[in-house]
Amino acid sequence: MKKYNFVTPEGTRDLLFDECTARRKIENSLMELFKSEGYSEVITPFIEFYDVFENYYPLESMYKLTDSKGRLMVLRPDSTPPIIRLAETRLKDELRPLKLCYNQTIYRSNPKETGRDDEIAQCGIEIVGNTKGGKHHNKNVLKLAVEAFEKIGENYRFELGDCRIFNNLIRINNIDKKVEKDIRELTESKNYSELNKMEIPKALKELPKLFGGLEVFVKAEELLESDYLKELLIVLKNTYDSLKEFVKEDNITVDLGLIGKQGYYKGIIYNGYIEGFGKPVLEGGRYMVSDTLATGFAVNVSAVAEFREKK
Amino acid sequence: MQNDTIRIAVTKGRLEKKAAELFAHMGWDSAAMTERGRQLIARIPEQNTEIVIAKPPDVLTYVEHGVCDAGIVGKDTIMEYGGVYFEVLDFGFGKCRFALAGRQGEDFYKGHGVKTIASKYTKVTRDFFEKKGMDVDIVKIEGSVELAPLLGLADGIVDLVETGATLRENGLAVYEEIADISARLIVNTVSMKLKKQKLDRLIKSIEENL
Repeated sequence: MKKYNFVTPEGTRDLLFDECTARRKIENSLMELFKSEGYSEVITPFIEFYDVFENYYPLESMYKLTDSKGRLMVLRPDSTPPIIRLAETRLKDELRPLKLCYNQTIYRSNPKETGRDDEIAQCGIEIVGNTKGGKHHNKNVLKLAVEAFEKIGENYRFELGDCRIFNNLIRINNIDKKVEKDIRELTESKNYSELNKMEIPKALKELPKLFGGLEVFVKAEELLESDYLKELLIVLKNTYDSLKEFVKEDNITVDLGLIGKQGYYKGIIYNGYIEGFGKPVLEGGRYMVSDTLATGFAVNVSAVAEFREKK
Repeated sequence: MQNDTIRIAVTKGRLEKKAAELFAHMGWDSAAMTERGRQLIARIPEQNTEIVIAKPPDVLTYVEHGVCDAGIVGKDTIMEYGGVYFEVLDFGFGKCRFALAGRQGEDFYKGHGVKTIASKYTKVTRDFFEKKGMDVDIVKIEGSVELAPLLGLADGIVDLVETGATLRENGLAVYEEIADISARLIVNTVSMKLKKQKLDRLIKSIEENL
């Protein structure tokens, strides 16, 4: 039998000396920031029942195991669903808003030899609000995300979107489930030419092209007709404006084609990019815990540490 | 990579030639590409552009990781290897199609037995039959897949077909079309946002010169 006792699993690595220092430094500064803003730390288990993630992640993207009763477990691929679970159970009667932060790793079973990381260290926050404070929280969370970026100290770009725009266009046009899946994939990959070949309303064809600066709102105003969509645009524009209070406008972009890959997102979503790094390093958005609004984001600490190391 | 430089990965071979022609048509000095010899990176300084020559699946990898901003690659490679990037433009050249083929005059779907399919493109094959709700055995063959049904290893093959001449000369025929293939422009998801103006200009210029 072949032994694997001298290698680490693909997608994972041992961190040595300076690499540890770099990662801990980022973790510490982020956690310090979150705690100073009144967020309390939680640690959730490495392994969870598969059911916690069932609606959000494809089975093949997770590391799986079974417990002694044969029940399917996974290594957590994301920290938000466990926090939703916590907020709906042990913290159910806790005073809202709940302000939680975490510093833990997540696991993804990626196709091998693609150079993707299977183990990712993240620091993040979640705020589970009472119904009336929704808007306010969004702004505070965005401000905190910006401050997190400033702690990281790189040249960053902030991106806003709202997955309700896409979802509403699908609903009002009575698109059937199978076609929706295709449109979703094509929108996510900004596949303009394939979308153009489909027999679907113009708004769905144009949506993925609506990204960039302030001009996006002008174009969207013409394209999106219903009152509901116009209202969503106004909310997004307001968020954009409030973001301008603490970020240079050049550093903010909008993408109306964001559809919220993580299936739990239900409203405004945002990404953070560092110049020179090929993947988003911050991802966040609005979701629901039972019937209350919640918002959160996570910073990919592994990516930031690695990026710094390379520089 | 400098912030104002655009780096484009181009598939080695036929697409590389087509791309060089297109760039020349766009008014670029593409001599660095056509006369690159064995060099793998061709620089076009006055366009602030670097052209990286790579094998098809590697184009996807370099773009996904963001070490190249954009890539020119066949839809066949995209379908087989997948990945995370934007697919923003159909060049319309490098055309061919994926097809299911087998021995001429036979009914592929006859009988209840599980069919064996030989292909270099195992993911494309799996996806195609999955959509049909059909269980098949897939055997990976690296080249000249036409041999597999001739030697009796497979009931059919899934392969790229251009004119169909190779199939005909070997007594095979297309049973069913799977997908139309052409060259695509893919873009890294972060570059698309951070280098929007430059990439918009590139895309527009390509569209005008196709």
